[in-house]
Amino acid sequence: MMGEGTNVDKAASIGNYLNLYFGQEQGIRLGESTVVSRKAHARMPEKRVKGQIKILTNRDAGKKYLDYVDIDQVVHIDVYHRPGQIDPRDIARAIFWQMEQHFIEKDPHLQYAEDERFKMVADYANKIFITTNQGKGVMYELFQNVVKPYQEGEEGWDHVHVLARLNREEYYLVYVIAETVEAVVIESGIKLAKVRNIIHGNQKEERESYAGYIKLPWKNFKGQHAKQMPDKENVNQLILKLAEKFGGVDEIEEFMESYSTNVFKRKGVEQQKKKWGDVEHDIEQLQELGLLKDTPFGKILTKQGLQLKEFVVNHKCELETEIRRNTRKMPGSGGRFKKLGKVDQQSSAVQYTNRNKTKNNSEANWSGDLAVPQTVIQATKNSFMRGDSQLSIKKEDLHYYEKKSYIPIDVCLVVDASGSMAGDKRQAACFLAEHLLLSGKEKVAVVTFQERSSTVVVPFTKNQRILSKGLSTINPAGLTPMADGIETAVNLIKDNRVRNPLMVLITDGIPNIPKWTMDALADGLEAGSHVAQNRIRFICIGVESNRFYLEKLANQANGVLYLVDDLNKDNLINIVRHEKKNMMDSKRNLA
Amino acid sequence: MIPFYKLERYEGNEALFDLVTMSIVSSYVGEPLHLHAEGLRGTGKTTIMRASRQILPNITRIKGCIYNCDPEAPHCPHHRHLDLEQIAALGTEIIPMPFLEISHSTKVGTVAGSIDLSRLTDPAHPEAQLLPGIIPQAHRGIIFIDEINRLADTSPEITDILLDVMGNKPGHLQIEEAGLPVVDIPVNVSIWAASNPDEDPGPLEEIRRQLSDRFDMVCYMGRPDSLDILSNMLQENSHMHRVQKASQTEKVNDAKHEALRQDIIKWGHLYEQTDLPDFLRNYIARLYIKHNLESIRAIEAMQQGAVLHSVIKNRDKVQITDVTYMIPLVLKHRVDGDTLVRMINDTDSRGNKDGILSFRGKKNKPREEEEEYFANNARALKDMHRGELVNTEKTLTPN
Ligand SMILES: [Zn+2]
Repeated sequence: MMGEGTNVDKAASIGNYLNLYFGQEQGIRLGESTVVSRKAHARMPEKRVKGQIKILTNRDAGKKYLDYVDIDQVVHIDVYHRPGQIDPRDIARAIFWQMEQHFIEKDPHLQYAEDERFKMVADYANKIFITTNQGKGVMYELFQNVVKPYQEGEEGWDHVHVLARLNREEYYLVYVIAETVEAVVIESGIKLAKVRNIIHGNQKEERESYAGYIKLPWKNFKGQHAKQMPDKENVNQLILKLAEKFGGVDEIEEFMESYSTNVFKRKGVEQQKKKWGDVEHDIEQLQELGLLKDTPFGKILTKQGLQLKEFVVNHKCELETEIRRNTRKMPGSGGRFKKLGKVDQQSSAVQYTNRNKTKNNSEANWSGDLAVPQTVIQATKNSFMRGDSQLSIKKEDLHYYEKKSYIPIDVCLVVDASGSMAGDKRQAACFLAEHLLLSGKEKVAVVTFQERSSTVVVPFTKNQRILSKGLSTINPAGLTPMADGIETAVNLIKDNRVRNPLMVLITDGIPNIPKWTMDALADGLEAGSHVAQNRIRFICIGVESNRFYLEKLANQANGVLYLVDDLNKDNLINIVRHEKKNMMDSKRNLA
Repeated sequence: MIPFYKLERYEGNEALFDLVTMSIVSSYVGEPLHLHAEGLRGTGKTTIMRASRQILPNITRIKGCIYNCDPEAPHCPHHRHLDLEQIAALGTEIIPMPFLEISHSTKVGTVAGSIDLSRLTDPAHPEAQLLPGIIPQAHRGIIFIDEINRLADTSPEITDILLDVMGNKPGHLQIEEAGLPVVDIPVNVSIWAASNPDEDPGPLEEIRRQLSDRFDMVCYMGRPDSLDILSNMLQENSHMHRVQKASQTEKVNDAKHEALRQDIIKWGHLYEQTDLPDFLRNYIARLYIKHNLESIRAIEAMQQGAVLHSVIKNRDKVQITDVTYMIPLVLKHRVDGDTLVRMINDTDSRGNKDGILSFRGKKNKPREEEEEYFANNARALKDMHRGELVNTEKTLTPN
């Protein structure tokens, strides 16, 4: 249709358009089948408008799909198609050759520079990631036949999902890629699907639909006898899902009681929201599982719902163990955070003697915890080997108990409990506290600040009961008296015998209630300087929009600032774990 | 000790009885099966494991061989070079299948081996000889480790040894003692472990993931939740107490235990002749691929477990239910809860008698709509005019 040579122009002009729209945080539909942006894309089943694709303006594609920290690195190209299987290797090979052709068309001299040409394409091939419903991988690897399996639920099952790390000058390649992918789809005997329209918007809190795969005996086993094991695992998993949301068995019970017929225990959605954040999703899920139902008087538990509640009450002990097991679990490594600043503080180690292990080191001096039995055994053996006429103990026979050392790090969380922290952020901070206590040997304390003052909700403790009880009193509301919170934590640390204290400030805001003066911000910095004076290790976990102030605060406290997109539990745990590891390394350097 | 056959069985501990029996059968024919029982205090995990000692069958070894050399396949440094005649000359003896314990305070030398002090200090003929430790001495038998999570936490050296011993079937062990030649021997030992994931230092998989994965099966113990069972258990305990006081412990049980022992020997022979049918092997392989499992050990354990389970249930053919029964036992410690539940719910054992099985159809809603989400086909870019290529939200949205 088009004349010779126009493809280069066409691609270049598309490149210009993309620069324009991407600059405005927008995506486009390229042709009819392809959606291009620097964001994540989603279908819109909730709208019941079919064929529509939503561009999620609050979800950067590189961050979401490739765990990049910086935004706008990646162009996201989705080519939608009718059901059918597409081999990602075919896509990779076709793009490879097509790019090469394109470069030659652009610069005919390349025709004779095969090596250079190959290198150019290979460079791009390492920056392009392809997923289809038959597999995925970096283009370069796919080109060499290395395919990773496609997993259920991933991007790519109704479209070819391409992520390309391109800079602005390279956006023309988007056209080359899209056109090539389309060609492969068609060659595979599959029709392209027409994207009806695109819309832009934020992605709402992502929560999985566990009702989709959890099977309860009364729900799916129609007429079939439910086997005991699956049954148990399903109920367990449901409880774990609810615990992730609500906290623990007591809270699950409290939540379910909000739907009992006992009017005194019923709680309105608004009241629930304050503590647990958005509960609508879970209500929907429970309804789908047949545990809740609508009545003229509102939602109530069904017979099965009551049964489940009873099960929870009767198996509290085991369920709590399962929940604790889940809480101890380390999240996948990585995490999306940015670290600003660094500290050089030394941690002190605790030494103890390991009675299980002895060392025989004749080079060492004559001091240490002598392991008498081991020494006698060694002497007996060596006397024999040396040919001594009788047992003699020489220096080379001496065995000492091994000394081990570890660095205890007692953590004090300083949690912003102002109104904006209600719901998921509150839950994440509580989860972090539980995780630290359960997965380590050290003490944990929690200080919250809200309204006009701060509270020690959990003193330094190793006792999970005390911790959980304290955490359950956190009800975010009001303003942000950060200076008071920090000051309370400093005093708490000073007044207790804590080892290598680490103060972790978690906030989604900046101070707006002062402590000593009329200036809340200045007071916050002042409190920060007290942290430094007391040589307390300090980190602050906040969000990008408050970077300017929080960076100053971290500086004042001689600490480090971590910025996250989202104050979720995985981010929080990964940051604290990262920091604790730093503290341990700082000891090792000393030795 | 309460006789094995008198131990109370209920829903929460039933699987462990099966697993223990399966592991003994498997060990008897020379194929270890490593088990880990996890549960709170009072779930009886250690009681069951220790009591099963009473039903262990006998094995034959070269007379006096502390490494338990099988006369037909000697492996120890003293006997592995001998020919059949020389071995015959040494004679054989019958011993109970070994059952030894390692605790979290056991020293490395005791576990692997160390110099034999009694030989060394023998006033008449002192000599430097290796005394094999608990692991080589448990060859062809079982080692029980209570509180394995504490062991993994405090004793990385023993953990490393266990990783080698459990790494392959048979595993291997290297015994090093200064001044003596290094001994490297194969060991066929089933490791049984117990732990309370809720006590310090927490679940094994968080302490040493690798070691946790080496266990073929993990049994998550539940507590008895019926009053009848509890009162039976109490009665049994107090009865035993009185019996022991009267010091009649020996007489209580042996006929029943002997019957169990004979069963185990019979099952052992049956196990050697039973193979997993192709369609089930195929099915396990599909599970592995579909759910993207990482551990090959897991599917090997599933095979071994399914066959053993069918054998101890006196079936002549392995059924799909033998496989599905294994799924939580083999996978719960290896995959996350969501994956496990999806796998369990994925299997549909309709008509398991004729061995037909199928994966359930996709349940996810969006998938059902798959066919219809896009109403029209699209034209290809190469067939379009330049002016049609770029479409924005505005140009696409009808007013
Ligand atoms: Zn031998």
